[in-house]
Amino acid sequence: MTSRRTVSRLSRILALIPYVLDRSTVDVEEVMDRFGYTRDQLTRDLNTIFVCGLPGYGPGDLMEAYMDEDEVIIDAADFFGKAPKLTPAEALGLLAAGMTVIGSGEASPELESAVRKLTKAVMPDAETTLTVDVIDESRSVGVLRDAAANSKVVHITYRSVAKEETTERDIEPWSVFAALGRWYVLGHCRLVDGQRTFRIDRIKDLEVTNEVFERPQKIPEPGVGYVPREGDIVCTIELEPAARWVLEYYPVEVLSDENGSATIRFSSPDTEIPARLLLRLGTDARLVEGDEVRARVREMGASLLSIYQ
Amino acid sequence: MQNVVERVLNLLIYLLESPTPVTSNEVRNTVHGYADQSDEAFHRMFERDKQVLRRIGVPLRLEALDPWEIDEGYTIDPEEYAIGDPGFTKEERVALSVAARMVRLGGAEAGVDAIIKLGGLEQGAAGIEPLAADLGEGADTLGELFGAIADRRAIEFTYRDQSRAVDPYGIAHRRGHWYLVGKTADGERMYRVDRISKLRVGETTQAFTKPRNFDIKAAVDSQPWEAGADPVTVTTVRFDEDVAWWAARSLGVAEPHGELTTEVEVANRDAFIGWILSFGTSAEVLAPEDMREAVAARVRAAVEQTG
Repeated sequence: MTSRRTVSRLSRILALIPYVLDRSTVDVEEVMDRFGYTRDQLTRDLNTIFVCGLPGYGPGDLMEAYMDEDEVIIDAADFFGKAPKLTPAEALGLLAAGMTVIGSGEASPELESAVRKLTKAVMPDAETTLTVDVIDESRSVGVLRDAAANSKVVHITYRSVAKEETTERDIEPWSVFAALGRWYVLGHCRLVDGQRTFRIDRIKDLEVTNEVFERPQKIPEPGVGYVPREGDIVCTIELEPAARWVLEYYPVEVLSDENGSATIRFSSPDTEIPARLLLRLGTDARLVEGDEVRARVREMGASLLSIYQ
Repeated sequence: MQNVVERVLNLLIYLLESPTPVTSNEVRNTVHGYADQSDEAFHRMFERDKQVLRRIGVPLRLEALDPWEIDEGYTIDPEEYAIGDPGFTKEERVALSVAARMVRLGGAEAGVDAIIKLGGLEQGAAGIEPLAADLGEGADTLGELFGAIADRRAIEFTYRDQSRAVDPYGIAHRRGHWYLVGKTADGERMYRVDRISKLRVGETTQAFTKPRNFDIKAAVDSQPWEAGADPVTVTTVRFDEDVAWWAARSLGVAEPHGELTTEVEVANRDAFIGWILSFGTSAEVLAPEDMREAVAARVRAAVEQTG
């Protein structure tokens, strides 16, 4: 028995009843859309309400609930005149959702006032106790969202996260999403002729063109994280406890993890990414295997040291 | 599940309608679904049903029935049970409905459960919305922490194998993770929520006072090199033209047209040097000399370590 399912089913029933009681007529389709019901689920819940009520459980004690043609009827349920209070987790979820969208710079004034009202209702000092920051430093999230919604090709100047490389490319933006505290745009990149995810804060300049692209039928689930490909550079690195954050920031394979130190296998399209990582980690990491990466660390180290002579 | 749903509905109606607290025996003899159970089975069922009620958000209380507190009974105050009306306009409800579906928390739509209780999703929220956000881990621990913060309850938990006692002040989502900020015996501390285990929330509400001027944003709003115990070093850095705009965004200064030379207040040298080296040869520390030496030392150590 999954008690989570019981809890959400009951929550929905306890929200449905006051909604119907409050109105003279309620359309079946509307209830389904509003509360996310299929017709079967709604029928089942109405049948459940119908057999519950006050102790005695005789005909006059039970609630009334049924579908009459296209109408939902509920009666004799005055004790459920209001839905139950939000739990802290529910309040947090909705506040966090609102704050995230506000942080994207994409919020309407209505959302801002709604979040203010909600805050006041659930936790008067929420403004100083809860913050959800997925900051859009570039202020491009809104522009890219609109381009995705209107299927417009966008010309971008992009600074690669891994390489010291700035490129210009045309992209067909499918969706804009936030994950791991940053905003990304997912789409088709015409430069590499394939699906790519770009970090929006790394887009230096962008220009929405008038060209309309054909949106794929099915947009892939957005997600970040490097998927190893054939031909990748692979190396093995030992991390001291102070460098453990690497496990959370890079998609790595953990080979061993004992006493706070970990050994990882690191895959990347080139030697630059692991070499930079090793340079910034200093003595907190050690390259165990990977001659190409070793050569690259030496080479990059030498050019850095020449600057600091 | 069908039996549980019916039984819990009947239990809730009974408790909402009883003018005085009722004992577990009265529940057993009155509410449909509990009869014909052994003592043990009844207690197991009743415990689980109370748990379900609490998880729905029902304020179930146990009160003494006599001055000697020999008998105790359960009660629900209908006023305390009922959700308040935040007074949303139709447009505000649409905007919240859209946001609720856009943001995910712990793999589920973050705000939909709340929206259902507030009267359901407004239509007009449908259609292609190409914007989405994922706020990472699940809402269970977060919800408990948020509840403790709201009620000013002290908490205890295990963090990095150590037990901590904290007065929770606030929670923040920063750089992809959730953090708890609270007061400990050693002062204000910040904890990553996904590393908190064995969380226990205290019984007493209003167990502490939160400083009036506490602001979660100020408590977490810093770059890694700003949050540290090192004496603050004003460091001058130059960024090449091709990375200057990007560095400026991280530093919160105006985006330059060419290269950028700027001063940074560094309170965590380790974190700062790591960040500077992530720019490769496109960034250079110009002053002070000892910071330059520290960068060079890190590079030398890395090259030596690599062999």
